[in-house]
Amino acid sequence: MPSGEKIKICQQCGTCTGSCPTSYLMDYGPREVIAAFRAGMIDKVVKSNTIWLCTSCYSCTVRCPANIKITDLMYELKRLAIKYDLLPKDSKNPAMTKYFIDNVSKYGRNHEVGLMAKFMLTKDWGMPFRFAGLGLKLFTAGRLPLAPKQIRGKEEIAKMSAYLDAQEAKAQ
Amino acid sequence: MAEEKIGVYICHCGTNIAGKVDVEEVTRWAAEQPNVAVAREYKYMCSDPGQDLIKQDIQEHGITRAVVAACSPTMHEPTFRKAAGDGGLNPYLLQMANIREHCSWVTIDGDAATEKAKRILGAQIHRLPLNLPLEPIEVPVNPNVMVVGGGIAGIEAALKLAATGKKVYLVERDPSIGGHMAMFDKTFPTLDCAACILTPKMSAAGKEPNIEMLAYSEVTQVDGYVGNFKVKVTKKARYVDIDKCTGCALCTEACVVRKVPNEFDQGLSKRAAAYIPFPQAVPLKATLDPTRCLTLTGKKCKQPCVAACGPAAIDFDQKDEEIELEVGAIIMATGFQLWDPTPETRYSYGKLDNVISSLEFERISNASGPTGGHIVCKNGEPPKSVAILHCVGSRDENYQEFCSRVCCMYSLKFAHLIKEHLPETEVYECYIDMRTYGKGYEEFYKRLMDEGVHFIRGRAAEVSDVGLTPNEEGHLVVKVEDTLLGVTRRLPVDMVVLSSGLAPRADAKSTAQIFGFGCSANGFYLERHPKLEPVSTVTDGIFIAGCCQYPKDIPDTVAQAGAAAAGALALVDNATVKVEPTISYIDPEKCSGCHICVGLCPHAAIQYNEEKGVAEVIEAACKGCGVCVAACGSGVPQQRGYLDEQIFAEIEGALAL
Repeated sequence: MPSGEKIKICQQCGTCTGSCPTSYLMDYGPREVIAAFRAGMIDKVVKSNTIWLCTSCYSCTVRCPANIKITDLMYELKRLAIKYDLLPKDSKNPAMTKYFIDNVSKYGRNHEVGLMAKFMLTKDWGMPFRFAGLGLKLFTAGRLPLAPKQIRGKEEIAKMSAYLDAQEAKAQ
Repeated sequence: MAEEKIGVYICHCGTNIAGKVDVEEVTRWAAEQPNVAVAREYKYMCSDPGQDLIKQDIQEHGITRAVVAACSPTMHEPTFRKAAGDGGLNPYLLQMANIREHCSWVTIDGDAATEKAKRILGAQIHRLPLNLPLEPIEVPVNPNVMVVGGGIAGIEAALKLAATGKKVYLVERDPSIGGHMAMFDKTFPTLDCAACILTPKMSAAGKEPNIEMLAYSEVTQVDGYVGNFKVKVTKKARYVDIDKCTGCALCTEACVVRKVPNEFDQGLSKRAAAYIPFPQAVPLKATLDPTRCLTLTGKKCKQPCVAACGPAAIDFDQKDEEIELEVGAIIMATGFQLWDPTPETRYSYGKLDNVISSLEFERISNASGPTGGHIVCKNGEPPKSVAILHCVGSRDENYQEFCSRVCCMYSLKFAHLIKEHLPETEVYECYIDMRTYGKGYEEFYKRLMDEGVHFIRGRAAEVSDVGLTPNEEGHLVVKVEDTLLGVTRRLPVDMVVLSSGLAPRADAKSTAQIFGFGCSANGFYLERHPKLEPVSTVTDGIFIAGCCQYPKDIPDTVAQAGAAAAGALALVDNATVKVEPTISYIDPEKCSGCHICVGLCPHAAIQYNEEKGVAEVIEAACKGCGVCVAACGSGVPQQRGYLDEQIFAEIEGALAL
């Protein structure tokens, strides 16, 4: 695992978990993910909610005294979890991630209304009611356009994406 | 070339060499090489019986050259050359072939290691007939010693040397000796008052007739070599005649410039432009700060200091003075600086009030400090809770990778001082690993646990002033994972102490350059050998002591200072010292006098003889680095023991399998 090379020198100082804005919701903090990895108990961690709650803020990575790329490690664990179907029970996060990627591949950027509509319809019927107030505010402020916006150079993005997919397929 | 009889001695070094290299095979092969009369192998060549083999062969078999295939010459070349000398052979007719560090330790495949050992050995066998007998050069030794740096390490080394009757020059950059130790309140783990144990030594150094104190002075240039250093020292102008000044401090009281940040108090208090750094200063003399004094900065001033000074010691016309001293040995004791926590922005040092460095805490807790020894926040109120954050800038690849050794203990000391001054105050220590390795240290840790200090195993993630709950409002909030609980905690506290590591002095590299030795990767002075020569440097006659070598506590510093003093004494107590004869020489018949080597010599060991129009090597100053040999367009300078033909013979030997 390329981002995991340095986990051997983790001193378990807890800077990552202490810095993580979502660690209070996680079953295991990033420090414990590394400890579990080293103890050979990674399946336990991969099945937990931890990796799906990482918001990619990179606070842990920036502050890690051992320069471990913890955020990248989280991404690789997500890929592993999807590949081997090691998802937590009733997890909606992989679906969210997939819809997000589909969206970006299609338009070159995220289309919030489309993403949320698809997610709510397939995974979370209750969500429109819980977020109605916020949604309305955003809509009236013009932050939720109904029609997707597209970027210039979409073809280039598609090429880059295809290249990366090919590289990954080759690596496997 | 006359027929030579070479003795070959191959060491097993236990399994260090024999575990990889087929020593029997190399011995069999060596016996067949030209000029080889005897080839032997032995389990430990450096043992007495091993050395005796060489002596016996010289005496009984008439061996005229010898090669020992063993470890690095930096390890045992002196051992074997001495053995050869004892046997009656010129020591420089013995060569080392390094088949350990260069071969067995770094080669995975045994067959490859055996082949490589043959080539390394073959190179030496091939060059040996060209070796010439050499005699060590004996030079006189100046008995005086210079100690650079007047902290506890320098003071201790100077006192030890002075007690043996040697003259010592103690050079200190600041106006007073004392160093960091003079700033501390208590010392761990015994809680001795730092001043109570240091100031008697400072005072003794000031009164010792064998110590010439050069405070407020800096070394600018070092020439010469072991036993014979010529050191230029700049005595900075104090603008006070120290022979007249009585240290009464009336000038300080009279001075109108009163808002200069006081370095000794880490800027937490102000001093005047005319100042004495602290009450126990040695020498107890006033100094005028040339960057702040109105007269010295060209502004108008009524000069009340002059009026206040009874003995008329103030002298605005004083100039920096350069002096040259001759010494036989030098001890470097230039100390450390605290790692500045500003780059670690997440701890908000310099941004939020009451986030302070460890040295600032030392001053706040010190009776002679800016708060008179009362531990208080910026608003003057004692803190109800304090967090002490360990490993600030330490054990961190982004800053200093090493463990700074003393911070765990000084942090425990801080906790104790807080509990002693303010028993109701809660103290939190956020640590990664508690390193209490010294005598009485673990017991001190246990005592602090018993005193009710909260120990949280986790490195603090951040310090902010953002309160999320009413009990956090108006406090500093430390966010830290308690890794033993697996829970992230938010600690609302009134004061945060950052336990920074010790860092090399900002000018450590350039200082080391002046003296002709180097620094380790972490920036501290590099010792000659980490275990067996921890107070020597690569430059003969220059020793190191204290935190300039690596972070260490006061007991270790004092012990090292004693060791450095002993090392210097072992040198300067002799009338002469032998230096290696493997130095360069210039044939005056061939030298064209082009000057190239003169400028390139890093040791100023080549001088130009105007009369003869040629360059000449000052034998005693030459270190045998070979720069002149490589630089000369005509190949005139040659280095004894490393002549061109000897080196070519080695290359041929290595390739001639």
